[in-house]
Amino acid sequence: MRGRWLQRLQDELAQAWAVLVKDLKTQYLRPGMIMFAFLMPFFMFFSFSVRREMAAAQGVARLLALTTMFTASAAGPFIIPLERRLGTYDRFLAAPMSLLTLLLGKTSVGALFGIGVSLFSLTVGVVAFGATIAQPWLLAAGVILGSFSFSALGLIFGSIPTRNPGDVQMPSTLLRWALLFISGVFIPLSEMSPAARAVAYLSPLTYAQDLMNHAVVGMGLLSPWLDLLVLLASGILFMVPPVWMHRRGRVLGY
Amino acid sequence: MDNAIEVENLTKYYGDLLAVDHISFEVRQGEVFGFLGPNGAGKTTTQRMLTTLLEPTEGRIVINGHDLAHDAYPVKQQMGLVPEESNVYTELSAWDNLLFTAQLYRVPRGGRAKQAQQLLETFGLWEKRDVKVENFSKGMRRRLSIAMAIIHRPTLLFLDEPTPGLDVQSARVIRDLIRQLNAEGTTIFLTTHQIEEANQLCDRVAIIHHGRIAAIDTPERLKAAFRKVQSVEVALEPDGQAHGEVLKTLPGVTTSVKMGDKWRLYTEDPSALLPQVMDYARANGLKVISLSTFGPSLEDVFLELTGQQVGTVRHGMQEEKPRRRGIKGQMGGGQ
Repeated sequence: MRGRWLQRLQDELAQAWAVLVKDLKTQYLRPGMIMFAFLMPFFMFFSFSVRREMAAAQGVARLLALTTMFTASAAGPFIIPLERRLGTYDRFLAAPMSLLTLLLGKTSVGALFGIGVSLFSLTVGVVAFGATIAQPWLLAAGVILGSFSFSALGLIFGSIPTRNPGDVQMPSTLLRWALLFISGVFIPLSEMSPAARAVAYLSPLTYAQDLMNHAVVGMGLLSPWLDLLVLLASGILFMVPPVWMHRRGRVLGY
Repeated sequence: MDNAIEVENLTKYYGDLLAVDHISFEVRQGEVFGFLGPNGAGKTTTQRMLTTLLEPTEGRIVINGHDLAHDAYPVKQQMGLVPEESNVYTELSAWDNLLFTAQLYRVPRGGRAKQAQQLLETFGLWEKRDVKVENFSKGMRRRLSIAMAIIHRPTLLFLDEPTPGLDVQSARVIRDLIRQLNAEGTTIFLTTHQIEEANQLCDRVAIIHHGRIAAIDTPERLKAAFRKVQSVEVALEPDGQAHGEVLKTLPGVTTSVKMGDKWRLYTEDPSALLPQVMDYARANGLKVISLSTFGPSLEDVFLELTGQQVGTVRHGMQEEKPRRRGIKGQMGGGQ
């Protein structure tokens, strides 16, 4: 009995890995991914950071929070509706694997994109601007956890029962922009009014930014452990709506 | 276990729209089962419910002894699905498409490459194995799509409209492949709106109409009904209503219907009727503009099976009109 469950677990993990590798091969060069996942965070960064007095480390911390959030959360809303439209998503739904495995695979895709682009940002920050990293292990944990959490956030939008990526892109972009402006990325938490700070605490990006500040600059407003815990918890929490929405999609015929 | 599929009282509503209306049928192990109907009749909806992609509103599906509502995992392992649109990954090569599917269905690592090679050779795609699928023709994509559906050697294969839009050669190759798979023991559930395809391939056929099963039988038995609705279509010049009165009295004509500038004469034996039509034209000094024979259309078969008169609906596939919750259909066909 135990052997059977272990075999099943091994199979499910291998299937999630197959989904991940396939998506990495087929999606990373699509124009939508290049625009929303790769270019957008840099565009946002330069729009709001150029010609403002900021230390290199601060800039890198901000860029890392931006790339982690924007890139990781872009994959789900783009890939899944597109696959539904092309009919390839049915291939996953008909395959002998659990819905959670599929969602894990899809979350990993966004997370890996997020981690990859964050690594690129970090390299540019360190090599070109001479930024130093205060706590590398905290940075690694933050980028990985943040990428998974934001990828799961994107998955909520990707799971909306529709075959048109446009139906999903608009609300997901709207939410991500809103998060950007309430989360202490451009205005530090310490400079916010109590009301604004209360709103900021509702956003996972607040904790990601605070964590990047700890890891790169060496100081943040909240405990880094709290930041890590919130990112982990929000990542898990964000997986619940996609499960429900997929079940709803099965009733509606998507 | 005699039946590969057992369906009881299967029903699907999309909101208020009734797509499948309490249908019941069985598919026996090892048979090719045809599921026929015009667009919108409920074929694809039924197939999507059978393949776990769509949740039924009501009813029970048992596949290979497993109730789909509670025990879908082993069923998914045992079935393959070829949807109407070839859902292959165009950014990948044929080889990568097959290996990915093999991974997804947990084909043992050691056997994946061998199985993929064997399938690509069988399906005539081996030479193109490294070519990206975006460069494939529709027929090649279709063949690859079938290869992907059977890489894990399913015991039950669902095919949704496998040949429409393909050239004659590709369609023939695919039909041969279906026969071969069936000969190797695979049960085939074939959804189609092409009578001749069902006739060539299926052991038994179910006709679905307005979401209900109108008939289930062997093609030969259904063809007994089909024979009554073969027809000869003639256009005469000068045209006139009077032709209909005379033409319908010709021996063997069961019904005559005016269709635009033509007359359609229903008969069991078109070859015997053709010379009589020519004789009528010659005797009356009429010019024959066109003269054609037609096999039974699916729509005519439906009308026959449901006790309505042939010719009351224009020939050719027509979209089904949706029915809404609480409104019973007009068809009288039983299960």
